[in-house]
Amino acid sequence: MADDKDVLRDVWFGRIPTCFTLYQDEITEREAEPFYLLLPRVSYLTLVTDKVKKHFLKVMKAEDVEEMWFDFEGTPLKWHYPIGLLFDLHASNTALPWSITVHFKNFPERDLLHCPSNSVIEAHFMSSIKEADALKHKSQVINDMQKKDHKQLWMGLQNDKFDQFWAMNRKLMEYPTEEGGFRYIPFRIYLTMSDRPFIQKLFRPISSDGYTHTLGDLLKEVYPMAISSDDESKRYQVVIHGIEPLLETPLQWLSEHLSHPDNFLHISVIPAPSD
Amino acid sequence: MSSCFLDEETFCQCCQLLLQHSHSLCDGWSWEQVKGSEGYLRKTALGTGRTRCILDQQGNSSDQHQERTFSLSFHNDEDDEDDGAVCCIQEESSSSSVVQYEYHILYSCSYQTPVLYFRASTLEGRSLCLEEVWDSVHPNYRQRLQHRPWDTITQQEHPLLGQSFFVLHPCRTEEFMMPVLKAALEEHRQVNYIVTWLSVVGPVVGLDVPLSYCTQVPEPPHTPSSSPQPPSSSPQPPSSSPQPPSSSPQPPSSSPQPPSSSPQPPSSSPQPPSSSPQPPALGTKPG
Repeated sequence: MADDKDVLRDVWFGRIPTCFTLYQDEITEREAEPFYLLLPRVSYLTLVTDKVKKHFLKVMKAEDVEEMWFDFEGTPLKWHYPIGLLFDLHASNTALPWSITVHFKNFPERDLLHCPSNSVIEAHFMSSIKEADALKHKSQVINDMQKKDHKQLWMGLQNDKFDQFWAMNRKLMEYPTEEGGFRYIPFRIYLTMSDRPFIQKLFRPISSDGYTHTLGDLLKEVYPMAISSDDESKRYQVVIHGIEPLLETPLQWLSEHLSHPDNFLHISVIPAPSD
Repeated sequence: MSSCFLDEETFCQCCQLLLQHSHSLCDGWSWEQVKGSEGYLRKTALGTGRTRCILDQQGNSSDQHQERTFSLSFHNDEDDEDDGAVCCIQEESSSSSVVQYEYHILYSCSYQTPVLYFRASTLEGRSLCLEEVWDSVHPNYRQRLQHRPWDTITQQEHPLLGQSFFVLHPCRTEEFMMPVLKAALEEHRQVNYIVTWLSVVGPVVGLDVPLSYCTQVPEPPHTPSSSPQPPSSSPQPPSSSPQPPSSSPQPPSSSPQPPSSSPQPPSSSPQPPSSSPQPPALGTKPG
């Protein structure tokens, strides 16, 4: 029987084979070949695509190059969402490799955040971790950590160092035994067919009478449309890290094992494929 | 750290009271709601800001935004007399111009505080970049932003609209709200959380709050179940603040809690006569 710790490794080392193609209207000196890369599910686009940029810059003039950004089938990809989330949300049921279009012009100002350097990614990542700890521990654990501990979390992610990251992150996954779990679960539910980008609310993993809340309980409370009744065919898939966890899974367990490195459970609700 | 948190219901009530006063002043606040989700306050205003413009060879300027692949760095106001800005390739200057601002006040359930989102654009419709927003902060507030990272402005995704906005980071709101709320409680003064909070953070990003807000806008009707208290973190009678729907009124608080540092008079909080807003005892003439 697999150890729970193996789940942590499987989540960390998840990869998505991706093909990057230059947008056809970009100005090039000669034809640009597509570039293939395995993307880490738990990282961020702008953190892992230096090679992509270098590859395309070889065929472009400096004056034709502005901030790089990506789209999938016309939808600009938000670099501040984890890569795995972007894939699950937009490309789950399409053929691999994931085909992403690369742009160097006409940055969509309204839709995308700028990412001029890695320190912006780090700030965003740490901000998510802090928000998650505000929910889990009223910020007590993160505030008790030193600056170098925070740095270790970031460096672990940036350099793909599982052990370095989890040496610190395990502290963020602890809770007083008598509580039975975190204060509130850090989660976001992403919807493809909605005006709002995600749903985020306060939700406890354990009720005061000791009842353990499940993924199904969360959805019933926060997004009941995700769960079809027994007699109708399944309309939606609820996906975390590319899999559909059983709705009976305890939410506390999911938070400890299937969170992203930013300590949030990023949950995609997508239309079920009709076949 | 206990009386400075705001639950969502109190947030909405404070906003509605602010809105009533806003309507009497015709100063532009409205309540918006994305279908099926939480609401927020919104206002647009024209203000001044410092924007970049490119100087061409003849020294004529045009409003253009040169996309940068350099890292942004914050620089002092003294630099803007120079023609060469810190991180641009072409010759540029920064000048004062009219800027269209859009402000949103949302509720953060993670931090249990309000959060100020805003965006800015030139009259031609070009969005200001983070650098320009930094430059537009009044010199009086700039030191505060430089030296206190918790006041910092960053670009974030608007949680209800999904678009790019600038945000004043909310994680240390309680540090400035707590003394104010504590003093108001001790002196039996009315305090509308949103008005007080906005009068601190708003001016930093060009949003003025006329004085009449502080004298004319009451706090929401004050019953023990709606007073701004953190949901269930400090020992409270079970019937206190409204709880998020799926949780029980009081989890067993058996883990050690940080000592409550501000006084919590359980039942002696001021009780205004039901439903009529009244000016606070120390109020001045409406103005």
